[in-house]
Amino acid sequence: MTTTIIGKSVPRPDAYDKVTGGKGYPVNVKLPGMLHAKILRSPYPHAKILNVDIRAAEQLPGVKAVLTPSDCPKRKYTTVYFVPTDAASMVQDMLVMSDTVRYAGQPVAAVAATSVAIAERALDLIEVEYEELPFVLDPEQAMQPGAPQLHPHAQNNIAVNPVMEFGDLEAGFAEADHIFEGVYETQRVHTCYMEPRVCVVDADPEGNFTVHSSMQSLFGLRQKLSYLLEIPESKVRVMKPPYIGGGFGGKLDIGYIEPIAALLSMRTNRPVRIEQTRYEDFITTARHPIKVYLKTGVKKDGTFTARYAKSILDTGAHATHGAEVINVHGMFGFLLTYRCANRKWEGYAVYTNNMVGGGFRGYGSPQACFAVESQIDEICDELDLDPIEFRRTNAHHQGDPHPFLPGMKLDTYAFDECLVKGAERMGFARRTGPNAGEGHRKRGIGFACQPLWVSGCLGFPDIYEHSGAIVKLNPDGTADLNTAVMDLGSGQITTLCQIAAEGLGLPMEAVRMTQTVDTTTVPFDAPSHASRVTYGAGTAVLAAARVARQRLLQVAGIMLEVSAEDLEVSDGKITVKGSPDSSLTVAEVVQRAESPFVQVTEEGPAPTTVEEKGTIIGLASTAPAGNPSPASVGFVEVEVDTETGEVKVERVVYAHDLGKVINPNAAEGQVEGGFQQGIGYALMEDLQFDEHSGACLTADFLDYKILTAVEMPLNIESIFIESNEPTGPFGAKSLSEPCITVPAPAIANAIYNAIGVRIRELPITPEKILAGLGKL
Amino acid sequence: MKKLIELEVNGEVHELAVSPDETLLGALRDHLDLIGTKQGCDSGGCGCCTVQVDGKAVYSCMMYAVSVQGSEVTTIEGLARGPELDPLQQAFIDAGAVQCGYCTCGIIMAAKQLLDTVKDPSEDEIRHAIAGNLCRCTGYRKIIDAIQLAAAAA
Amino acid sequence: MSLPALSDYFIPEQQNELIELLQRFGENAMIVAGGTFVHGLEARGLLSEVEALIDIGKLGLNGIATGPSGVVLGATTTLADLKQADFIQNDPAFGAVKDALGYPPLQIRNVGTVGGCVAASVPLYDVPATLLVLDGTVHALGANGDREIALTDFFTGLFENALRTDEFITELRLPAQAAGTASAFLKLETNANDLAIINVAVRFTLDEAGLCRDSRIVIGGGIGESYVRAGSAESRLNGAKADADLFNAVSKAVATDIDPVTDHRGSAQYRRHMAVVYTHRALGRALERLS
Repeated sequence: MTTTIIGKSVPRPDAYDKVTGGKGYPVNVKLPGMLHAKILRSPYPHAKILNVDIRAAEQLPGVKAVLTPSDCPKRKYTTVYFVPTDAASMVQDMLVMSDTVRYAGQPVAAVAATSVAIAERALDLIEVEYEELPFVLDPEQAMQPGAPQLHPHAQNNIAVNPVMEFGDLEAGFAEADHIFEGVYETQRVHTCYMEPRVCVVDADPEGNFTVHSSMQSLFGLRQKLSYLLEIPESKVRVMKPPYIGGGFGGKLDIGYIEPIAALLSMRTNRPVRIEQTRYEDFITTARHPIKVYLKTGVKKDGTFTARYAKSILDTGAHATHGAEVINVHGMFGFLLTYRCANRKWEGYAVYTNNMVGGGFRGYGSPQACFAVESQIDEICDELDLDPIEFRRTNAHHQGDPHPFLPGMKLDTYAFDECLVKGAERMGFARRTGPNAGEGHRKRGIGFACQPLWVSGCLGFPDIYEHSGAIVKLNPDGTADLNTAVMDLGSGQITTLCQIAAEGLGLPMEAVRMTQTVDTTTVPFDAPSHASRVTYGAGTAVLAAARVARQRLLQVAGIMLEVSAEDLEVSDGKITVKGSPDSSLTVAEVVQRAESPFVQVTEEGPAPTTVEEKGTIIGLASTAPAGNPSPASVGFVEVEVDTETGEVKVERVVYAHDLGKVINPNAAEGQVEGGFQQGIGYALMEDLQFDEHSGACLTADFLDYKILTAVEMPLNIESIFIESNEPTGPFGAKSLSEPCITVPAPAIANAIYNAIGVRIRELPITPEKILAGLGKL
Repeated sequence: MKKLIELEVNGEVHELAVSPDETLLGALRDHLDLIGTKQGCDSGGCGCCTVQVDGKAVYSCMMYAVSVQGSEVTTIEGLARGPELDPLQQAFIDAGAVQCGYCTCGIIMAAKQLLDTVKDPSEDEIRHAIAGNLCRCTGYRKIIDAIQLAAAAA
Repeated sequence: MSLPALSDYFIPEQQNELIELLQRFGENAMIVAGGTFVHGLEARGLLSEVEALIDIGKLGLNGIATGPSGVVLGATTTLADLKQADFIQNDPAFGAVKDALGYPPLQIRNVGTVGGCVAASVPLYDVPATLLVLDGTVHALGANGDREIALTDFFTGLFENALRTDEFITELRLPAQAAGTASAFLKLETNANDLAIINVAVRFTLDEAGLCRDSRIVIGGGIGESYVRAGSAESRLNGAKADADLFNAVSKAVATDIDPVTDHRGSAQYRRHMAVVYTHRALGRALERLS
């Protein structure tokens, strides 16, 4: 199908606002009479709160309310809001504020005051009496008998322990020619969205709440907040901001701040704002560290005969996302990636007195991919096998049944093309062995794959996956698109407007995303996460656009005295097929539909018909048709300085089957940004904590290192393979996560190719390289 | 105890009552509603708060508002001439350099000093000019493209 | 924010006003030059006792003067202005300063001052290491008049220096450097907006016989309370012919002159190893500047 807007790098509709200041961020929300709240946090990783004395704080002029754990709801919950509040797959182990502290930084009190400065001073006046308890920061230690028990329901501090098995593992190992074992560890890292977590909650005297927040889901927040406050959802109205300043999964849940702001607003009858400091953001959400034990059996030609993995995930003080991350990690990161009859995986999400984790692009797959793709590289090196052929030998094929989702097939699956094209563009065949060439700088090339991923969550137990949209046409020929879909920065507005424009037959500039919607005015939408917006929300938007288009053509048909089937619309013009001179503009048709029933003209009264009258509007709410898998392979070329251990990523070639490119410029931007995060994960990012106190050591950008423009490789080539997914809007499936998952193992493999040192622990710092070279 | 100060911002003089330790960032956002300058870390680590003081890019979160009296402050709001965008702003739109946009204004203000002083900056000079600005969305490639585009347009 | 005891922000226009304020507030005064150090401390909650912030931006203490007796840098000369000075860009003797000024991001260079980064008295900064190897002196003014303090005597501990509470830095002076002198500086950082994990500054003069004289090697970063002179490495360098073997030996000698820290940025062994590598590279770079 030829498209005029899909496949074009149209400029982003929100870019003008953002380059002139950016009015739409939730951080800008100011309401009259607004108070400012601050949260007091525990310095201890594990403690009982014996007493909280707020008298001095309450006396401070300007302080309007002080909240302690005893003022907070007793309802247990989990922060995760892409599932129903009673989802069985989640672990409801949190309170808004508890009198048991389980991590350093846990909220223990909150103050609302007329200014931030006063609220902060009031925090200093709150006296908390703690009884310190023994704490444990290592998940394997936490699983041992005798470790402090952090939750009454969790024996050995195990929050969840999924185990999945296929075939006969023992038999698989018995038939292997070679068996490989290894342990791979990944670290805790932070999403580093640039706009902090912030909210304003306004309670009215009738118990209705209006909520502004930097979040990834309107309806998730509404559902969760109403659950905590024990009120019907209809009493919580969540306002959609025009966009937010980054999420990456780190805002994929209800924070402490929304419930606390809601409670303070109820108390004070004024809106309450809470903005987290960067330090607070660092200790609020993170990608979970996972230690993966792999045992793999292969035939001498590289065919897998048996695959076993055990994953220990540190879920910190509360299960939160850990309960789901562990499953995605085990399935999409390990079990489902390649064909193998005999597989077993055991996952442990373990409580410790560390900070809780959250969502972060990749959601468990980066940790698995690092292990799996590193080990495959080791296997190929040991057995002298071609690593490209190894993947092809074990890969799924197009047309295979989906390895997990029942009733689905891999209708489009261009993994092989990704391997071949990527290798060719990188010049993979020309790579030499370790330590080639003179001098202390060594180059190497490596690659890694994400063979299976998702386009949303259809088929996942408990996870919401439906979207809705309303498309309304205006008499000036423009259209307004109303959806609950949150734009995190990754281009959701642009993509959905492109889809709507193409679906309607309007030019791109004629379609605008409505900025002022809320949970009362638009259909439900699952969060912006799991690479779902293009495929899932796009499906609903296209459906709504087609409803509107159908009505548009119906009215046009009446005006042109033809049947709607004989009309086509493109670039704002409706023409009779085969008769280009017989046309109307979209504006003319909408004007007719919206005009008075009898309009006075120069020729006298001009009546219309009932059939032509009425706002031209399309509504759809639908689940997508499937959950097609993209496929991706990332190649990197590195240079390692063997005197300093420094690793420079010189070049990246990234191949990704995404079905159809909606916007090439935006797609490249996703890959480039994904690599900034993925290279940081590989080489420098590390949220660290003091082992004696649990205090965060890397709570600002001086100590938590992310790539700047100086370290970032600029030579990044994306190869987008268009397999034309039949169930996706204009053939699209997903893009944005695998590009953050493959960099770390690709880099680890490239480092091995450069210097013959295998590092199985992230981040791969210069110090680890030097130690691996025997220089320390 | 508040101090009464005069701040010249984007060519306009404002009288403000600020606390002695109020930052320029706080003065801009909270007193003057100039919300284009943003707080990302409040500790000179991310660059979202970058403005120009007497033509030099600075972290406004690291300047005391009181100390800026007598200087000319330029924020993102002062760049466009009515409907006509500064070449940097236009280039950011044209190159696709804006994703979430939270870092964008700070980077434009830093890049502006570069382009005002160096005619044809190299890729390396551009990288270093924005080394003090973090971006988490774009991977910097299209940001650098935008700055090169703006340099060529000048 | 985190200045709960703050009473006022002062901007004296005369030096005696500044001295008066320093006397009045004593230990609880904090001088603000560029402001980046002060804000760094504030962000970490370390300024809870500060009662007075005193801005020295209006005292006319900025300025660079060069002459036969050396270089005079006004205390509030910004790093950006210093970077553009002709002698910094072109004189191999001052190569270390040029190198150090290449590291800070634009926003820091534009406001950070020479006096401020010396007064901070923290070995994580770069420029002071280079002023040390160039035999810099601090000129201070206080209630009892002015005095000169050699930089080698200036740093007395972490955040501590030889200034009395009523004194402030007016100038940094660098003596004239002999012909045939070169210096260089390297900083170990993880990304481009970072404090030194370690840093290394070197200076030496090559006499007519091609032998090294008057060498200085200073190591900073996570190295302890203050910068460290690598004395045995300097001795090894002096009087010897500048070649690859010498530089190897000198840089290895640095390892025994230092006792680096282990922290979340790196271990002592890593810092020690890198001090050796960077000394080697800095020596090479300085030598290249002379050819």
